[in-house]
Amino acid sequence: MLRTPRPPLIHRSPMPGLGLTMGITITMLSLVVLLPIGALLAKGASFGLGNMWDVVNRERVWAALFLSFRLSFLAACFNLVFGVILAWVLTRYRFPGRRLLDAAVDLPFALPTAVAGIALTALYAPNGAFGALAKELGVKIAYTEWGILIALIFVGLPFVTRTVQPVVEEIDREVEEASATLGASRLHTLRRVIWPMLAPAALTGFALALARAVGEYGSVIFIAGNIPLSTEIAPLLIVIQLEEFNYDAAAAIGIAMLLISFAMLLVINLIQIWSRRRIGHV
Amino acid sequence: MHIDIDEISKQFGATAALHPVSLAIPSGALVALLGPSGSGKTTLLRILGGLEFPSSGRVLFDGQDATHLSVQDRRAGFVFQSYALFRHMTVFDNIAYGLTARPRATRPEKAEIARRVTRLLDLIQLPHIGARFPSQLSGGQRQRVALARALAIEPRMLLLDEPFGALDAKVRKELRQGLRDIHDTTGLTTVFVTHDQEEAMELADLVVVMSMGRIEQIGRPQDIRARPASDFVRDFITV
Amino acid sequence: MSDTSLPFRPATEETPLTRRLLIGVAVLGLALLVFAPLAAVFTEALADGWAAALASLGNHDARSAIQLTLIITAIAVPMNAAFGIAAAWFITKFDFRGKAFLITLIDLPFSVSPVVAGLCIVLMFGANSLVGGWLVAHGFPIVFALPGIVLATMFVTFPFVARELIPVMIEQGRAEEEAALTLGAGGWRVFWTVTLPNIRWALLYGVLLCNARAMGEFGAVAVVSGKIRGQTATMPITIEMLYNEYLSVAAFSMAALLTALALLTLLLKTALERRHADALAASHRH
Repeated sequence: MLRTPRPPLIHRSPMPGLGLTMGITITMLSLVVLLPIGALLAKGASFGLGNMWDVVNRERVWAALFLSFRLSFLAACFNLVFGVILAWVLTRYRFPGRRLLDAAVDLPFALPTAVAGIALTALYAPNGAFGALAKELGVKIAYTEWGILIALIFVGLPFVTRTVQPVVEEIDREVEEASATLGASRLHTLRRVIWPMLAPAALTGFALALARAVGEYGSVIFIAGNIPLSTEIAPLLIVIQLEEFNYDAAAAIGIAMLLISFAMLLVINLIQIWSRRRIGHV
Repeated sequence: MHIDIDEISKQFGATAALHPVSLAIPSGALVALLGPSGSGKTTLLRILGGLEFPSSGRVLFDGQDATHLSVQDRRAGFVFQSYALFRHMTVFDNIAYGLTARPRATRPEKAEIARRVTRLLDLIQLPHIGARFPSQLSGGQRQRVALARALAIEPRMLLLDEPFGALDAKVRKELRQGLRDIHDTTGLTTVFVTHDQEEAMELADLVVVMSMGRIEQIGRPQDIRARPASDFVRDFITV
Repeated sequence: MSDTSLPFRPATEETPLTRRLLIGVAVLGLALLVFAPLAAVFTEALADGWAAALASLGNHDARSAIQLTLIITAIAVPMNAAFGIAAAWFITKFDFRGKAFLITLIDLPFSVSPVVAGLCIVLMFGANSLVGGWLVAHGFPIVFALPGIVLATMFVTFPFVARELIPVMIEQGRAEEEAALTLGAGGWRVFWTVTLPNIRWALLYGVLLCNARAMGEFGAVAVVSGKIRGQTATMPITIEMLYNEYLSVAAFSMAALLTALALLTLLLKTALERRHADALAASHRH
């Protein structure tokens, strides 16, 4: 039987700079990212699985994780719908102010989270412009779950729009026309032809927005009440443990959040593989 | 179905894509719109299909005014230059699309749809590719699937935009005969756009030579060859 | 005669009503979520007038925060730019096993909470850790000092430049570099005269985003800095401290400074997307 030889680890190439660029890449990646993450995992290992579980398995931690997840999911859902609409409007329609809106979508990427946090709080606090309005309607926004939700929507805003926009741009108009010549109404075309093309990108954006929201800290802590069991988010618990120099507990919660992030990263990759298989591109 | 084009013009902003043109297409004919790019041939085809609307003039189907008939109601089987197959659907679903898109009242039953799709796959001589996705097909196969999809809605006419444009020479020749065969079996009035004079002359019953938004000559291939109506036509068909 | 004035809608468009409705939703949503907070920053900063706002930025703590943030960015951004160029070169000019995995690792910081990132740095280099203890004993503390803040900032902004360059360099291929090699150019010469001119706009784009995030990083820095006023308090950390002390004008004045920077970043970014779209990663061309 003939065995196919294993491909070499690195193919020979006439390109210069292999040693240098590989060295810089691996060294910096290790020093800045991999070793610190390794230190977290090592801390967890030395603390022990049972002990870590005891830290995480407390009402206050569960409440914080559940709150972070539930609100991040809701915020990502909102951004999925709003982001797809935004992507469609910004690429398909021409109207005055379109470029301004297009640039504004990226503000949550560019604005420091602490600035976003205090700005949103100023607006939605009971004495703020929108907060006062809501108060008259009997709704409290800042220092409640609503406030957290608004902050999480803000930080996740650009993801869906920016992943969907290039796909909308690429849609072949002839495909939409083909659907119409076959007798399909515009709504049918949107549902059966256009949405399936956008869905993989939209879901990727959704997962990215979700992952970002779950770990978000800066923009949330100002507008959240930070009351244990009610408006306390998971990242805040880590900060609290660290301020008490309780490194083991901080590591336990940190590892729990890291695992959640990895799971989401995996989901994002699976979505992309799935979409590549189905329609031959992302 | 016979088609009458009555003084159709089309403006895109300040530029005229079509000067008023008139053309009568007899029922069951196989017509080529022949011309260089920018001659207005594709615009005219898209006006017939309801994808563009004329700036002035009328389109008549069997003597009835169809100028403002919506694209959905025209039942024009349209084959696009890029084929415009739905990438996320199988070949089967692509062909069935026009039937499943119908409102419930007029939609055939599932079994009936499957029967019709199978028949169309046989017609294009690709009986076993129903489960594949467009990305898994060759260029020639895609073109035939696009044709089958257009035929599935039982169209009143067949409109094809550069149907062989994206194919290599060998496949072109095969598919030309394929289109001729399908035209002869279905008897549909068929209009196709091409910039290739050999293709037009070999395939069509009637050739319409266009240039700069005007019709230069209408005639049977042999008549156009024998008596070109203008210098442009003579130059264009003797390339 | 047919009535040619009849309104006609192309097959690929929605009804005017739907269009107006969707545009309305987009405008309203962005007004509430983006433009209103933007306006709030400046109105709150100027609540007591220009003089008060400017005065709050002039005191010692504020100036040291601004200085610290500039120093951190001046170290972290060039380091990450150098990493991004090296990683992009390594990934796009060579074929090796595990490339996809390497790219995933480089992207990792984007999916880690900044707070967890800070925690990792603390556990790696804190006084209680093996490495950190040794470094502290030799008079080189990392956590609660400048190096820790720089590391935390580098962690959270790590992928920005690489992520911008990799798709552009994949698209450009290796032919031009190979041509230069056959003409006798050495490695550095190829990089400076062939590669860099081709990737400069994408590089600038990545540096721009990296810089914006580096100046504004909060979560990771909050964990590693120890928040020592006048020493390890960066601009965002100072904003938090001032805000919690109810010094609203001072907090928002500093926030306004960072907001102005964010707006400048967006402006430059938009200009790059418009002028040099073909030199950027395909996803930014709109």
